[in-house]
Amino acid sequence: MTDAVIAAEHVSKWYGQVIGLNDVMLKVQPGITGLLGPNGAGKSTLMKLVTGQLKPSKGVVTVLGEPIWHNPPIFRRIGFCPEQDAFYERMTGLEWVTALVSLNGVGDAAARDMAARALETVGLTDVSGKRIAAYSKGMRQRVKLAQALAHDPELLILDEPLSGMDPLVRRKIIRLIKEWGRSGKSVLVSSHILHEIESMTPDIVLINQGRILAEGNVHQIRDLIDEHPHTVYVKADDTRELARRFLTDDHVLSLRFEEGAIVVQTGRPDAFYSRLTELAASGELGTIHEVTSPDDNLQAVFQYLVKS
Amino acid sequence: MSAPPTLLSSSIRVFDFSFGQMLWSRRSVFLGLLVGAPVILAAVVRILSATGWLPVVNGARVGGPALFGVLMWLLFVRFVVPVLGVFYGTALMADEVDDKTITYLFTRPVPRASVLLGKYLAYLACVVLMLLPSVVIIYFLIVPVGGSIGQAFPILAADLGMLAVGVAAYGAVFAFVGAWLKRPLIVGLVFAFGWEQTVLLIPGYLKRLTVAYYLQALVPHAMPQDSALSTLLLVFQDLPPVAVSLACLAGIIVLSLWLAGRAVENREYVLEQ
Repeated sequence: MTDAVIAAEHVSKWYGQVIGLNDVMLKVQPGITGLLGPNGAGKSTLMKLVTGQLKPSKGVVTVLGEPIWHNPPIFRRIGFCPEQDAFYERMTGLEWVTALVSLNGVGDAAARDMAARALETVGLTDVSGKRIAAYSKGMRQRVKLAQALAHDPELLILDEPLSGMDPLVRRKIIRLIKEWGRSGKSVLVSSHILHEIESMTPDIVLINQGRILAEGNVHQIRDLIDEHPHTVYVKADDTRELARRFLTDDHVLSLRFEEGAIVVQTGRPDAFYSRLTELAASGELGTIHEVTSPDDNLQAVFQYLVKS
Repeated sequence: MSAPPTLLSSSIRVFDFSFGQMLWSRRSVFLGLLVGAPVILAAVVRILSATGWLPVVNGARVGGPALFGVLMWLLFVRFVVPVLGVFYGTALMADEVDDKTITYLFTRPVPRASVLLGKYLAYLACVVLMLLPSVVIIYFLIVPVGGSIGQAFPILAADLGMLAVGVAAYGAVFAFVGAWLKRPLIVGLVFAFGWEQTVLLIPGYLKRLTVAYYLQALVPHAMPQDSALSTLLLVFQDLPPVAVSLACLAGIIVLSLWLAGRAVENREYVLEQ
C-alpha cells in the first residue's frame, strides 16, 4: 500500500461541549476518494482539519506526509475548494483567481496565465472579465474550483463542489475530477449526495455523527456489513421452483415475487451466491437471466451503515 | 517548485488586492464623511470670513492658523484618528471572517500573519490617501483667514506626519484588538473614548499606557485653552520629548502588530463563521 495522502491519527475535535469528530483514524490513499455523510455528520469539521483551518483538539492530521496545522508551505501542493459561496464580489473572475494564485509565490504574469488556464479548464473563459457578483450559482462554483486547481496541486480537496451546477456542467466537472485522478493526482471530494460521489469514484469514506463508519472500496465496505440483510434480484424462468428451493436455506431471511423474478434477502451473501451458482449449474430450474443486487449501490450501503 | 513566499512578499501580495477592496468598501463612505465634514466646515468658515466674521474660541476671535490648530487638536487627534483606527483596525480580520473569504487566504502558502500585515498596510494607504488631502484642503481654506500660508507651512508638514503616525499607531493597536477578541469594536471604542480620555486626565503614569499621550507630544500647536478642563490638563500636562514619543509610538506599532500576527497564526477563525 502506498503512503496515504491524508492521514488522521486518533483525531478528535470538540467545540466546547459538542463533539465534532470523535477519535477518527483515517488513511486516504492516492487517487480519488469520496467523503460521504449527511449534513451534520462531521464532514465539514474533517475538511477544515485536513485543510489546516482547525487545529485538532486531540491527535494529528497529516497531509502529503506533513502535519497540516501551522504549515502554510504545504499549500503549494494542495488546492482547496471550500463549500461556502463567498467571494470578493467586486473582482472579476480572472482578477480573483490571479490574486489568489499570486499568493503561491508566482509572478504577476505567470499568475495571470495560470488563472486564465484554470478558468478555461472550468469553462469560464467567456466570462472571466465579468465581476463575480454577476455570476450565476454554477459559475461561482466553477470559479471556486478554478482557484483551487490553478496552481496544479498534487492534492485537490473539494468540499461539495457540484452544488448548484446544472446537469451538463456537473457532468463536465465530474469528468474533470476523474481526469485529474487519472493523471496521478489525488482528490478528496465531499458530498452528501451519494450518486455524485459514486459517479466519480468507488473509493469512499463514510462519516456520521463524528465517526468514520467505513472506508475503502464500496464493495469492500459492503462486505463489512454482512450482518445486514443483502438484497438480490434474480430473474429466472421458474421463479416458483427457485423460491421453493431457497426457502429451505437458513441464510435466506425473506423472499418476495416480482414480475418474472424473485427478490431475496439473505444474511449471508456468500452462501447465497454459492447456492445460486449451484442451482444455475444444475439446469433444473431453467435459465437464470439476471442477478443483480440493489445493495451494491452506495445509497444502500450508506443507509445500512447510518442506521446501524 | 518556487520557494515559499516570505512574510514581506506575501504581505505585499495581500496588500495588492486588499487595497482596492478596502478603497471601494462601504467603510470608505464612512471615512469620506468623517474627513469630508471638516472640509465643508472649513469652506463655510472661509466664506463667512469674507464678510469680516472671525471664529470665536474661548471668547476671543481667532485667526486661521489658530483655528487650524484647534481643528487638529480637538477634531483630528482626539476624534477622527482614533475613530478611523477603531473602525478599520478592528475590521481587518473580522471582515474576512464575516464575509467567509478568510478560507481562501488561509489555504495558500503564505504565513497567516502576512494576511493581517497586508491588510494593515492597505488600511494605512487607504486612510492616509483620504485623510491627508482633506487636512491639506482645510489648511488652504482656513489658514489664509488672518494668517500666512507660507509661515504656517512647516506646521502643516508636522501635522501631516503626526496624523500619519497616529493612524499607524491606532490602526496597529486596534488590529491587535481585532485579531485577539471576538467583539473588538466595543472594546476598541471603550479603549479609545473611555480609557484614553479618562486616563489622560489622571496625574501619574497610567497615561503612558495610551497612544494619545505620545501622539500629543507630536502636535505642533498649543493646546486650546477652552475650558476648566483644559486648564486642569495644562496643570497636569506632562508631555514626553518628541524623540521619546516617536520611539514609543514605533514600539507600540511593532509590538501590536507582532501580537496581532501571533493571534492570527493561532486562532481558529472558521469557528466564528
